[in-house]
Amino acid sequence: MGFWEEFIPLVLHGAVNTLWVLVISIPASVALAIALGSARVYGNAALKAVATAFVVTFRGFPLVVTLFLLFFGLADLGIYLTPYQTATLAFVLCGGSYMSEYVRGAIRSIDIGQSLAARALGMTKFQELIYIILPQAIRRALPGISNEIIYQIKYSSLAFVVGYEEIFAVSKTFISRYFMPLQVFMVDAALYLAMTTAAAYGLRALEYKLRIPGLEMSIR
Amino acid sequence: MGEDEVVLRVENIHKKYKDQEVLKGVTFEVRRGETKVIAGPSGAGKSTLLRCINLLTKPDKGRVWLEGVELTNPKTNINKMRQKIGFVFQEFNLFHHLTALENVMIGLTKVKKLPKDVARKKAEEALLTVHITEDLWNKYPAQLSGGQKQRVAIARALAMDPVIILYDEPTSALDPQLVGEVLRVMEELARKGVTGLVVTHEIGFALEVADEILFMYGGKILERGPPREVVFNPKHEVTKKFFENIKRLYGGR
Repeated sequence: MGFWEEFIPLVLHGAVNTLWVLVISIPASVALAIALGSARVYGNAALKAVATAFVVTFRGFPLVVTLFLLFFGLADLGIYLTPYQTATLAFVLCGGSYMSEYVRGAIRSIDIGQSLAARALGMTKFQELIYIILPQAIRRALPGISNEIIYQIKYSSLAFVVGYEEIFAVSKTFISRYFMPLQVFMVDAALYLAMTTAAAYGLRALEYKLRIPGLEMSIR
Repeated sequence: MGEDEVVLRVENIHKKYKDQEVLKGVTFEVRRGETKVIAGPSGAGKSTLLRCINLLTKPDKGRVWLEGVELTNPKTNINKMRQKIGFVFQEFNLFHHLTALENVMIGLTKVKKLPKDVARKKAEEALLTVHITEDLWNKYPAQLSGGQKQRVAIARALAMDPVIILYDEPTSALDPQLVGEVLRVMEELARKGVTGLVVTHEIGFALEVADEILFMYGGKILERGPPREVVFNPKHEVTKKFFENIKRLYGGR
Protein backbone atom coordinates (compact mmCIF):
# COMPACT_ATOMS: atom_id res chain seq x y z
CA MET A 1 0.00 0.00 0.00
CA GLY A 2 1.17 3.50 -0.80
CA PHE A 3 1.37 6.55 1.42
CA TRP A 4 -2.02 8.05 0.56
CA GLU A 5 -3.95 4.78 0.58
CA GLU A 6 -2.67 4.19 4.07
CA PHE A 7 -2.75 7.71 5.43
CA ILE A 8 -6.16 8.93 4.30
CA PRO A 9 -8.26 6.25 6.11
CA LEU A 10 -6.04 6.63 9.15
CA VAL A 11 -6.34 10.39 9.38
CA LEU A 12 -10.08 10.24 8.75
CA HIS A 13 -10.35 7.80 11.63
CA GLY A 14 -8.44 10.43 13.67
CA ALA A 15 -10.83 13.11 12.48
CA VAL A 16 -13.83 11.07 13.58
CA ASN A 17 -12.21 10.67 17.01
CA THR A 18 -11.57 14.42 17.19
CA LEU A 19 -15.20 15.14 16.33
CA TRP A 20 -16.32 12.55 18.85
CA VAL A 21 -14.71 14.57 21.64
CA LEU A 22 -15.91 17.91 20.32
CA VAL A 23 -19.58 16.99 19.90
CA ILE A 24 -19.66 16.39 23.63
CA SER A 25 -17.11 18.91 24.87
CA ILE A 26 -18.41 21.97 23.01
CA PRO A 27 -22.05 21.83 24.17
CA ALA A 28 -20.90 20.80 27.66
CA SER A 29 -18.46 23.74 27.77
CA VAL A 30 -21.20 26.15 26.79
CA ALA A 31 -23.55 24.72 29.41
CA LEU A 32 -20.85 24.92 32.09
CA ALA A 33 -20.02 28.47 31.00
CA ILE A 34 -23.65 29.55 31.38
CA ALA A 35 -23.85 27.94 34.82
CA LEU A 36 -20.56 29.47 36.01
CA GLY A 37 -21.21 32.91 34.55
CA SER A 38 -24.72 32.97 36.04
CA ALA A 39 -23.51 31.75 39.43
CA ARG A 40 -20.89 34.49 39.57
CA VAL A 41 -23.50 37.20 39.10
CA TYR A 42 -26.68 35.69 40.56
CA GLY A 43 -25.37 33.21 43.10
CA ASN A 44 -25.23 33.75 46.85
CA ALA A 45 -21.86 34.44 48.43
CA ALA A 46 -20.89 30.76 48.71
CA LEU A 47 -21.87 29.89 45.15
CA LYS A 48 -20.08 32.96 43.84
CA ALA A 49 -16.91 31.99 45.68
CA VAL A 50 -16.99 28.41 44.41
CA ALA A 51 -17.68 29.45 40.82
CA THR A 52 -14.96 32.09 40.91
CA ALA A 53 -12.41 29.67 42.34
CA PHE A 54 -13.36 27.15 39.66
CA VAL A 55 -12.86 29.63 36.83
CA VAL A 56 -9.61 31.02 38.21
CA THR A 57 -8.25 27.49 38.61
CA PHE A 58 -9.07 25.98 35.25
CA ARG A 59 -8.33 29.15 33.36
CA GLY A 60 -5.04 29.32 35.20
CA PHE A 61 -3.84 25.77 34.41
CA PRO A 62 -2.21 25.20 31.06
CA LEU A 63 -4.41 22.76 29.17
CA VAL A 64 -1.56 20.23 28.95
CA VAL A 65 -1.21 20.25 32.71
CA THR A 66 -4.96 19.71 33.14
CA LEU A 67 -4.79 16.77 30.73
CA PHE A 68 -1.87 15.21 32.61
CA LEU A 69 -3.48 15.82 35.99
CA LEU A 70 -6.71 14.14 34.91
CA PHE A 71 -4.99 11.22 33.23
CA PHE A 72 -1.93 10.47 35.37
CA GLY A 73 -2.76 12.43 38.50
CA LEU A 74 -6.18 10.91 39.04
CA ALA A 75 -4.80 7.46 38.19
CA ASP A 76 -2.49 7.92 41.14
CA LEU A 77 -5.61 8.28 43.29
CA GLY A 78 -7.11 5.17 41.78
CA ILE A 79 -9.40 6.97 39.34
CA TYR A 80 -8.70 5.76 35.81
CA LEU A 81 -10.03 7.84 32.95
CA THR A 82 -9.74 6.68 29.36
CA PRO A 83 -7.92 9.03 26.97
CA TYR A 84 -11.30 9.92 25.49
CA GLN A 85 -12.79 10.77 28.88
CA THR A 86 -9.68 12.71 29.86
CA ALA A 87 -9.66 14.82 26.72
CA THR A 88 -13.39 15.55 26.86
CA LEU A 89 -13.33 16.48 30.53
CA ALA A 90 -10.24 18.67 30.20
CA PHE A 91 -11.71 20.60 27.29
CA VAL A 92 -14.95 21.14 29.19
CA LEU A 93 -13.20 22.40 32.33
CA CYS A 94 -10.89 24.70 30.40
CA GLY A 95 -13.31 25.84 27.70
CA GLY A 96 -16.18 26.30 30.13
CA SER A 97 -14.05 28.50 32.38
CA TYR A 98 -12.92 30.73 29.53
CA MET A 99 -16.39 31.02 28.01
CA SER A 100 -17.97 31.78 31.38
CA GLU A 101 -16.28 35.17 31.37
CA TYR A 102 -18.10 36.13 28.19
CA VAL A 103 -21.35 35.02 29.78
CA ARG A 104 -20.62 36.97 32.96
CA GLY A 105 -19.74 40.10 31.01
CA ALA A 106 -22.86 39.75 28.90
CA ILE A 107 -25.10 39.35 31.96
CA ARG A 108 -23.51 42.43 33.52
CA SER A 109 -24.14 44.40 30.34
CA ILE A 110 -27.91 43.85 30.41
CA ASP A 111 -29.70 47.01 31.51
CA ILE A 112 -30.85 46.82 35.15
CA GLY A 113 -34.32 47.90 34.01
CA GLN A 114 -34.82 44.39 32.59
CA SER A 115 -34.27 42.92 36.05
CA LEU A 116 -36.51 45.49 37.73
CA ALA A 117 -39.33 44.81 35.27
CA ALA A 118 -38.99 41.05 35.79
CA ARG A 119 -39.05 41.34 39.57
CA ALA A 120 -41.94 43.83 39.44
CA LEU A 121 -43.98 41.16 37.64
CA GLY A 122 -43.40 38.84 40.58
CA MET A 123 -40.63 36.73 39.09
CA THR A 124 -38.13 35.15 41.45
CA LYS A 125 -34.46 35.92 40.93
CA PHE A 126 -34.09 32.53 39.25
CA GLN A 127 -37.03 33.10 36.88
CA GLU A 128 -35.62 36.52 36.05
CA LEU A 129 -32.29 34.91 35.15
CA ILE A 130 -33.79 32.09 33.08
CA TYR A 131 -36.55 33.89 31.20
CA ILE A 132 -35.27 37.45 30.89
CA ILE A 133 -31.54 37.82 31.42
CA LEU A 134 -29.96 34.70 29.91
CA PRO A 135 -31.88 34.79 26.61
CA GLN A 136 -30.45 38.26 26.06
CA ALA A 137 -27.03 37.66 27.60
CA ILE A 138 -26.36 34.49 25.61
CA ARG A 139 -27.01 36.38 22.40
CA ARG A 140 -24.46 39.00 23.45
CA ALA A 141 -21.94 36.40 24.55
CA LEU A 142 -22.21 34.39 21.35
CA PRO A 143 -19.42 36.07 19.34
CA GLY A 144 -17.00 35.55 22.25
CA ILE A 145 -18.17 32.00 22.81
CA SER A 146 -17.71 31.30 19.10
CA ASN A 147 -14.09 32.37 19.45
CA GLU A 148 -13.58 29.86 22.24
CA ILE A 149 -15.31 27.12 20.28
CA ILE A 150 -12.86 27.64 17.45
CA TYR A 151 -9.98 27.56 19.92
CA GLN A 152 -11.32 24.32 21.31
CA ILE A 153 -11.48 22.72 17.87
CA LYS A 154 -7.83 23.57 17.28
CA TYR A 155 -6.60 22.75 20.77
CA SER A 156 -8.28 19.35 20.61
CA SER A 157 -4.99 18.36 18.96
CA LEU A 158 -3.45 18.46 22.45
CA ALA A 159 -5.35 15.28 23.32
CA PHE A 160 -2.45 13.41 21.76
CA VAL A 161 -0.45 13.91 24.98
CA VAL A 162 -2.67 11.39 26.79
CA GLY A 163 -2.62 9.00 23.85
CA TYR A 164 -5.98 9.81 22.36
CA GLU A 165 -6.00 8.83 18.69
CA GLU A 166 -7.15 12.06 17.17
CA ILE A 167 -5.97 13.72 13.95
CA PHE A 168 -2.66 14.96 15.25
CA ALA A 169 -1.80 11.78 17.20
CA VAL A 170 -2.30 9.45 14.25
CA SER A 171 -0.33 11.81 12.04
CA LYS A 172 2.65 11.88 14.37
CA THR A 173 2.80 8.10 14.51
CA PHE A 174 2.42 7.90 10.78
CA ILE A 175 5.34 10.23 10.17
CA SER A 176 7.66 7.94 12.08
CA ARG A 177 7.02 5.33 9.36
CA TYR A 178 6.86 7.42 6.19
CA PHE A 179 8.90 10.51 6.70
CA MET A 180 6.63 12.91 4.79
CA PRO A 181 5.86 15.68 7.31
CA LEU A 182 4.91 18.27 4.71
CA GLN A 183 2.14 16.16 3.17
CA VAL A 184 0.94 14.83 6.52
CA PHE A 185 0.71 18.17 8.26
CA MET A 186 -0.82 19.84 5.23
CA VAL A 187 -3.61 17.29 5.40
CA ASP A 188 -3.96 17.92 9.16
CA ALA A 189 -4.02 21.65 8.63
CA ALA A 190 -6.67 21.29 5.94
CA LEU A 191 -8.83 19.14 8.20
CA TYR A 192 -8.65 21.63 11.08
CA LEU A 193 -9.32 24.51 8.71
CA ALA A 194 -12.36 22.69 7.34
CA MET A 195 -13.71 22.14 10.85
CA THR A 196 -13.07 25.69 12.08
CA THR A 197 -14.51 27.20 8.91
CA ALA A 198 -17.63 25.07 9.17
CA ALA A 199 -17.97 26.06 12.83
CA ALA A 200 -17.47 29.75 12.05
CA TYR A 201 -20.18 29.67 9.39
CA GLY A 202 -22.50 27.65 11.58
CA LEU A 203 -22.06 30.01 14.50
CA ARG A 204 -22.59 33.05 12.33
CA ALA A 205 -25.78 31.53 11.02
CA LEU A 206 -26.87 30.91 14.61
CA GLU A 207 -26.12 34.52 15.53
CA TYR A 208 -28.21 35.65 12.59
CA LYS A 209 -31.05 33.31 13.50
CA LEU A 210 -31.09 34.60 17.09
CA ARG A 211 -30.96 38.27 16.17
CA ILE A 212 -33.68 40.44 17.70
CA PRO A 213 -35.59 42.30 14.98
CA GLY A 214 -35.19 46.05 15.21
CA LEU A 215 -32.08 45.82 17.39
CA GLU A 216 -29.58 45.12 14.62
CA MET A 217 -28.07 48.29 13.27
CA SER A 218 -27.74 48.57 9.55
CA ILE A 219 -24.97 51.16 9.92
CA ARG A 220 -22.65 48.45 11.31
CA MET B 1 -64.64 44.49 48.35
CA GLY B 2 -66.45 47.81 48.90
CA GLU B 3 -65.64 50.82 46.76
CA ASP B 4 -64.23 52.66 49.73
CA GLU B 5 -61.98 49.84 50.82
CA VAL B 6 -58.38 50.87 51.43
CA VAL B 7 -56.25 48.70 49.14
CA LEU B 8 -52.87 50.28 49.75
CA ARG B 9 -51.64 51.68 53.00
CA VAL B 10 -48.21 53.23 53.31
CA GLU B 11 -47.13 54.10 56.82
CA ASN B 12 -44.20 56.21 57.92
CA ILE B 13 -41.78 55.11 55.18
CA HIS B 14 -38.16 56.13 55.67
CA LYS B 15 -35.29 55.55 53.26
CA LYS B 16 -31.70 56.65 53.47
CA TYR B 17 -28.97 56.25 50.86
CA LYS B 18 -25.62 56.54 52.63
CA ASP B 19 -26.24 59.69 54.67
CA GLN B 20 -28.79 61.20 52.34
CA GLU B 21 -32.31 60.89 53.67
CA VAL B 22 -34.55 60.44 50.65
CA LEU B 23 -37.80 59.61 52.45
CA LYS B 24 -38.52 61.05 55.88
CA GLY B 25 -41.74 59.43 56.95
CA VAL B 26 -44.39 59.19 54.26
CA THR B 27 -47.92 58.06 55.10
CA PHE B 28 -50.98 57.77 52.86
CA GLU B 29 -53.69 55.42 51.68
CA VAL B 30 -55.22 54.56 48.35
CA ARG B 31 -58.78 53.27 48.09
CA ARG B 32 -60.07 50.88 45.48
CA GLY B 33 -60.80 52.61 42.20
CA GLU B 34 -58.95 55.77 43.14
CA THR B 35 -56.21 57.50 41.18
CA LYS B 36 -53.69 59.45 43.18
CA VAL B 37 -51.01 61.62 41.67
CA ILE B 38 -47.69 62.22 43.34
CA ALA B 39 -46.01 65.42 42.21
CA GLY B 40 -42.99 67.28 43.38
CA PRO B 41 -39.57 68.50 42.32
CA SER B 42 -36.73 66.23 41.26
CA GLY B 43 -35.08 64.66 44.28
CA ALA B 44 -38.22 64.82 46.40
CA GLY B 45 -38.20 61.02 46.71
CA LYS B 46 -41.16 60.22 44.43
CA SER B 47 -39.60 57.35 42.52
CA THR B 48 -37.98 55.94 45.64
CA LEU B 49 -41.38 55.99 47.32
CA LEU B 50 -42.95 53.97 44.49
CA ARG B 51 -40.15 51.42 44.62
CA CYS B 52 -40.52 51.17 48.37
CA ILE B 53 -44.14 50.14 47.85
CA ASN B 54 -43.38 46.97 45.87
CA LEU B 55 -40.08 46.60 47.70
CA LEU B 56 -37.88 46.87 44.63
CA THR B 57 -36.19 49.16 47.15
CA LYS B 58 -36.31 48.10 50.78
CA PRO B 59 -37.49 50.88 53.08
CA ASP B 60 -35.39 51.36 56.22
CA LYS B 61 -38.42 51.97 58.36
CA GLY B 62 -42.17 51.97 57.99
CA ARG B 63 -44.75 49.55 56.73
CA VAL B 64 -46.73 48.87 53.57
CA TRP B 65 -50.00 46.93 53.35
CA LEU B 66 -51.73 45.70 50.23
CA GLU B 67 -55.28 44.50 50.79
CA GLY B 68 -54.48 43.97 54.43
CA VAL B 69 -51.29 41.96 53.85
CA GLU B 70 -48.16 43.59 55.22
CA LEU B 71 -45.59 43.60 52.40
CA THR B 72 -42.84 44.81 54.69
CA ASN B 73 -43.24 41.76 56.91
CA PRO B 74 -40.22 39.54 56.13
CA LYS B 75 -42.50 36.49 56.26
CA THR B 76 -44.63 37.77 53.38
CA ASN B 77 -43.85 36.14 50.03
CA ILE B 78 -43.02 39.34 48.20
CA ASN B 79 -42.86 37.68 44.76
CA LYS B 80 -46.44 36.57 45.21
CA MET B 81 -47.56 40.02 46.30
CA ARG B 82 -45.72 41.80 43.47
CA GLN B 83 -47.98 39.98 41.01
CA LYS B 84 -50.77 42.16 42.37
CA ILE B 85 -48.87 45.43 41.95
CA GLY B 86 -48.50 46.64 38.40
CA PHE B 87 -45.43 48.77 37.81
CA VAL B 88 -44.93 51.02 34.81
CA PHE B 89 -41.44 52.46 34.40
CA GLN B 90 -40.30 55.73 32.94
CA GLU B 91 -37.99 53.85 30.54
CA PHE B 92 -40.67 51.22 29.67
CA ASN B 93 -38.30 48.31 30.36
CA LEU B 94 -40.00 46.00 27.91
CA PHE B 95 -38.15 42.72 27.51
CA HIS B 96 -36.06 43.29 24.39
CA HIS B 97 -36.03 39.69 23.23
CA LEU B 98 -39.79 39.22 23.34
CA THR B 99 -42.54 40.46 21.03
CA ALA B 100 -45.23 42.83 22.30
CA LEU B 101 -47.56 39.89 22.84
CA GLU B 102 -44.88 37.78 24.54
CA ASN B 103 -44.00 40.70 26.82
CA VAL B 104 -47.57 40.71 28.10
CA MET B 105 -47.84 36.91 28.20
CA ILE B 106 -44.68 36.07 30.10
CA GLY B 107 -45.95 37.18 33.50
CA LEU B 108 -49.10 35.16 32.95
CA THR B 109 -47.39 31.96 31.83
CA LYS B 110 -44.27 31.98 34.01
CA VAL B 111 -45.44 33.78 37.15
CA LYS B 112 -49.16 33.06 37.25
CA LYS B 113 -48.63 29.70 35.50
CA LEU B 114 -51.68 30.12 33.32
CA PRO B 115 -52.04 27.76 30.35
CA LYS B 116 -50.68 29.27 27.14
CA ASP B 117 -54.02 29.70 25.37
CA VAL B 118 -55.62 31.38 28.39
CA ALA B 119 -52.59 33.65 28.78
CA ARG B 120 -52.65 34.55 25.12
CA LYS B 121 -56.31 35.52 25.26
CA LYS B 122 -55.76 37.65 28.34
CA ALA B 123 -52.70 39.29 26.81
CA GLU B 124 -54.58 40.09 23.61
CA GLU B 125 -57.40 41.65 25.60
CA ALA B 126 -54.95 43.79 27.58
CA LEU B 127 -53.22 44.92 24.39
CA LEU B 128 -56.52 45.90 22.82
CA THR B 129 -57.45 47.81 25.97
CA VAL B 130 -54.36 49.99 25.52
CA HIS B 131 -55.10 50.30 21.77
CA ILE B 132 -52.24 48.14 20.57
CA THR B 133 -53.78 46.58 17.49
CA GLU B 134 -53.12 43.11 16.15
CA ASP B 135 -50.61 44.28 13.53
CA LEU B 136 -48.24 45.24 16.36
CA TRP B 137 -48.52 42.10 18.49
CA ASN B 138 -45.61 40.34 16.85
CA LYS B 139 -43.33 43.35 16.75
CA TYR B 140 -40.30 43.53 19.01
CA PRO B 141 -39.82 46.53 21.33
CA ALA B 142 -37.11 47.98 19.10
CA GLN B 143 -39.68 48.13 16.28
CA LEU B 144 -42.21 50.13 18.30
CA SER B 145 -42.47 53.86 18.98
CA GLY B 146 -42.02 55.13 22.52
CA GLY B 147 -45.74 55.61 22.98
CA GLN B 148 -46.46 52.11 21.73
CA LYS B 149 -43.78 50.68 24.02
CA GLN B 150 -45.24 52.38 27.06
CA ARG B 151 -48.72 51.19 26.19
CA VAL B 152 -47.44 47.62 25.85
CA ALA B 153 -45.79 48.08 29.26
CA ILE B 154 -49.13 49.20 30.68
CA ALA B 155 -50.79 46.14 29.11
CA ARG B 156 -48.11 43.94 30.68
CA ALA B 157 -49.03 45.32 34.10
CA LEU B 158 -52.77 45.28 33.42
CA ALA B 159 -52.91 41.66 32.22
CA MET B 160 -51.82 40.47 35.67
CA ASP B 161 -55.13 41.77 37.10
CA PRO B 162 -53.31 43.97 39.61
CA VAL B 163 -54.89 45.49 42.69
CA ILE B 164 -53.12 48.73 41.83
CA ILE B 165 -50.83 50.04 39.11
CA LEU B 166 -47.88 52.22 40.07
CA TYR B 167 -46.73 54.56 37.32
CA ASP B 168 -43.25 56.07 37.65
CA GLU B 169 -43.19 59.15 35.41
CA PRO B 170 -44.69 57.14 32.54
CA THR B 171 -44.51 59.93 29.99
CA SER B 172 -41.22 61.61 30.90
CA ALA B 173 -39.17 59.64 28.36
CA LEU B 174 -41.57 60.26 25.49
CA ASP B 175 -41.51 62.72 22.63
CA PRO B 176 -44.11 65.41 23.29
CA GLN B 177 -46.40 64.21 20.48
CA LEU B 178 -46.49 60.70 21.97
CA VAL B 179 -47.39 61.76 25.52
CA GLY B 180 -51.07 62.14 24.69
CA GLU B 181 -51.67 58.55 23.58
CA VAL B 182 -50.22 57.20 26.84
CA LEU B 183 -52.10 59.66 29.06
CA ARG B 184 -55.32 58.81 27.22
CA VAL B 185 -54.87 55.13 28.00
CA MET B 186 -54.11 55.87 31.65
CA GLU B 187 -57.16 58.07 31.85
CA GLU B 188 -59.38 55.38 30.32
CA LEU B 189 -58.09 52.83 32.81
CA ALA B 190 -58.71 55.21 35.70
CA ARG B 191 -62.26 55.78 34.51
CA LYS B 192 -62.79 52.01 34.32
CA GLY B 193 -61.90 51.86 37.98
CA VAL B 194 -58.34 50.55 37.77
CA THR B 195 -56.65 51.82 40.93
CA GLY B 196 -53.57 53.90 40.18
CA LEU B 197 -50.77 55.74 41.89
CA VAL B 198 -49.06 58.01 39.40
CA VAL B 199 -45.85 59.96 39.72
CA THR B 200 -46.12 62.58 37.00
CA HIS B 201 -45.60 66.21 36.07
CA GLU B 202 -48.64 66.18 33.81
CA ILE B 203 -50.92 68.49 35.74
CA GLY B 204 -53.53 68.27 33.00
CA PHE B 205 -53.85 64.56 33.76
CA ALA B 206 -53.85 65.24 37.51
CA LEU B 207 -56.62 67.83 37.23
CA GLU B 208 -58.77 65.63 35.00
CA VAL B 209 -58.30 62.26 36.59
CA ALA B 210 -56.80 62.34 40.06
CA ASP B 211 -58.84 62.08 43.22
CA GLU B 212 -56.00 63.58 45.19
CA ILE B 213 -52.58 65.10 44.64
CA LEU B 214 -49.79 64.35 47.06
CA PHE B 215 -47.17 67.05 46.75
CA MET B 216 -43.80 65.78 47.90
CA TYR B 217 -40.92 67.95 48.94
CA GLY B 218 -37.71 66.95 50.70
CA GLY B 219 -38.76 63.37 51.37
CA LYS B 220 -42.15 64.22 52.85
CA ILE B 221 -45.67 64.91 51.72
CA LEU B 222 -45.70 68.68 52.11
CA GLU B 223 -49.32 69.08 51.18
CA ARG B 224 -52.17 67.08 49.78
CA GLY B 225 -55.73 67.52 48.68
CA PRO B 226 -58.09 67.72 45.72
CA PRO B 227 -56.12 68.52 42.54
CA ARG B 228 -57.68 71.95 41.96
CA GLU B 229 -56.93 72.98 45.49
CA VAL B 230 -53.30 71.92 45.44
CA VAL B 231 -52.56 73.23 41.97
CA PHE B 232 -54.45 76.54 42.06
CA ASN B 233 -54.63 77.35 45.71
CA PRO B 234 -51.69 75.75 47.50
CA LYS B 235 -50.90 76.48 51.12
CA HIS B 236 -47.13 76.51 50.81
CA GLU B 237 -44.89 78.81 48.86
CA VAL B 238 -42.82 75.86 47.46
CA THR B 239 -45.92 74.17 46.15
CA LYS B 240 -47.06 77.36 44.50
CA LYS B 241 -43.66 77.93 42.86
CA PHE B 242 -43.52 74.32 41.69
CA PHE B 243 -46.90 74.36 39.99
CA GLU B 244 -46.28 77.78 38.46
CA ASN B 245 -43.11 76.42 36.89
CA ILE B 246 -44.85 73.28 35.72
CA LYS B 247 -47.71 75.25 34.22
CA ARG B 248 -45.25 77.39 32.30
CA LEU B 249 -43.42 74.32 31.00
CA TYR B 250 -46.26 71.95 30.24
CA GLY B 251 -49.31 74.18 30.02
CA GLY B 252 -52.62 73.11 31.48
CA ARG B 253 -55.35 71.46 29.51
